[in-house]
Amino acid sequence: MRLSVLLLAVFLVRPAAAQLSEAPREAPQPMIVAGLAEDQVEVKVNYAGARIVLFATAPADESGSSGLAVALIGPSAPAEVIRRKPTGGEERFEFVTAPAVFAIGAEPQVAGTIPPDVMIEAGLNAAASAMPKADKLDSADLDMWRAAFVDLKMSQGLYSFDTTTIERLDGGLRRAKIKLPANAPPGEYKVRAVAFRNGHTVGMTEKTLTLVRGGLDATLFDLSRQHGFIYGFLAVLLGSIVGGIAAWIGRR
Amino acid sequence: MLIHLPIAQIAVDPLVIVAIGTMVGFLSGLFGVGGGFLLTPLLIFYGVPPAVAASTQANQVLATSIAGVSAHWKERAVDTRLGTLMLLGGLVGSTIGVAIFGVLKHFGVIDTTISVLYVVLLGVIGGLMAWESVGALGKAGGDPGRRTRMNTWIRGLPYKRRFPRSGLYISIIPLLGVGFVVGLLAAVLGVGGGFILAPAMVYLLGVPTRVMVGTSLFQIIFLTAYVVFLQATFNGTVDLVLGFVLMIGGVVGARLGAAAGRKLKAAQLRLLLALVVLAMAGRLVYDLYVEPKPAFRLEEAS
Repeated sequence: MRLSVLLLAVFLVRPAAAQLSEAPREAPQPMIVAGLAEDQVEVKVNYAGARIVLFATAPADESGSSGLAVALIGPSAPAEVIRRKPTGGEERFEFVTAPAVFAIGAEPQVAGTIPPDVMIEAGLNAAASAMPKADKLDSADLDMWRAAFVDLKMSQGLYSFDTTTIERLDGGLRRAKIKLPANAPPGEYKVRAVAFRNGHTVGMTEKTLTLVRGGLDATLFDLSRQHGFIYGFLAVLLGSIVGGIAAWIGRR
Repeated sequence: MLIHLPIAQIAVDPLVIVAIGTMVGFLSGLFGVGGGFLLTPLLIFYGVPPAVAASTQANQVLATSIAGVSAHWKERAVDTRLGTLMLLGGLVGSTIGVAIFGVLKHFGVIDTTISVLYVVLLGVIGGLMAWESVGALGKAGGDPGRRTRMNTWIRGLPYKRRFPRSGLYISIIPLLGVGFVVGLLAAVLGVGGGFILAPAMVYLLGVPTRVMVGTSLFQIIFLTAYVVFLQATFNGTVDLVLGFVLMIGGVVGARLGAAAGRKLKAAQLRLLLALVVLAMAGRLVYDLYVEPKPAFRLEEAS
């Protein structure tokens, strides 16, 4: 497990070109060209989630065992899983970094055929992306904590494995639609496209997507964080005004 | 149509939020309770993070209480003098209650202590109220007799003042005391305390039921304003967009509740409040002993 996690860490920082060396030498190396329809999404008061569209092409060597997987991952933040012990009390496990959102999808011909270690190396394994403290890397319970973490994230709608669709268009072009949930936190996301052939990674590319607050949403959030006193005063004022108006209307 | 909440960071249907606000506002206007004990779990059930739900409900309660008090004010059913004295006791009690809460939390016995205390308190209050009001319904359906054993003892205390709106001439000591105990319990139990205060005013102090409703709401205005300000300023957990949408439903519900209350006999009102209190106790018993609790939960690490 420790080796797997170390491999994951190495793969996460390796440039996409370096990933190509993992492919079998006899196979031609397809080059993935990809682009996001929008690289920035603004969260306003009417924001109810978004569909991220990625166009990608991996033209060389189309075969039954080759295909594309796409994932939306980020932004990373520490998280803590708490377990209620049957005997009473609680047990905590901290992940120093884990993606707040993880949405993945793959073309049908490769979905379910990629070995788990290859998925981890490609950075497409949700559980393995939750990184514990260094001294917990070889914990016997690490898999259990990671599974619990993924389950909890799925229950919040932030991790999904069935909402991303990939369509084949003309000329080997693919269009991936990835659901960005309404409760996704603002920050920097990675949209990763990975090409597989015969169970091996043969190409990878990554695009950056930024989720930013805008309009009233940004104003209120910034006010609450930077000028708490004014925000508190406004909250009381709002309640008083709405109550006062209702009282006035009621008297008429 | 959905709207995005800037602090809760989720998208919600405003019509659902307005409906929740209206329902809780109706109960608030009818019984003189804040309704936080109902509003917070409803918001959590809808997907609002617990910290944001608990803080923002106070903002809605503030608006509905103002609207509700206005309706009762018109009926000359708000005793501001009595309410202010109880509020003073409540502020001291809640400040000490917060400290006690911290101590219990430190020793890791807070959850069980609170839940059991809550169930016992609500069960006893609700049961006694229901018993008394059912008995009263068979008679004239008015307020309970003022010369109970407790009242007789309270009448002997010094520092008496006149409270014309409530028709009382009693010592300020039990007023401060009731406010203090309710504030203390409210802080330890983590709720506004209206449902404890309301029966205490009627049965311990002898405040008429109709004056109790308006006076209870009067105190809730100041207590919730205090809570909203602290939560918004220091914890940043009050969501103004959510609060505003809740308020729209809440103020309408409060007016409807106050109007409905005027059509009911005092004993009917007390019986309904008793049933709400007992329902809440039942829900807690269900939470404690029936509903399976998830083995894992997730928190943001610092």
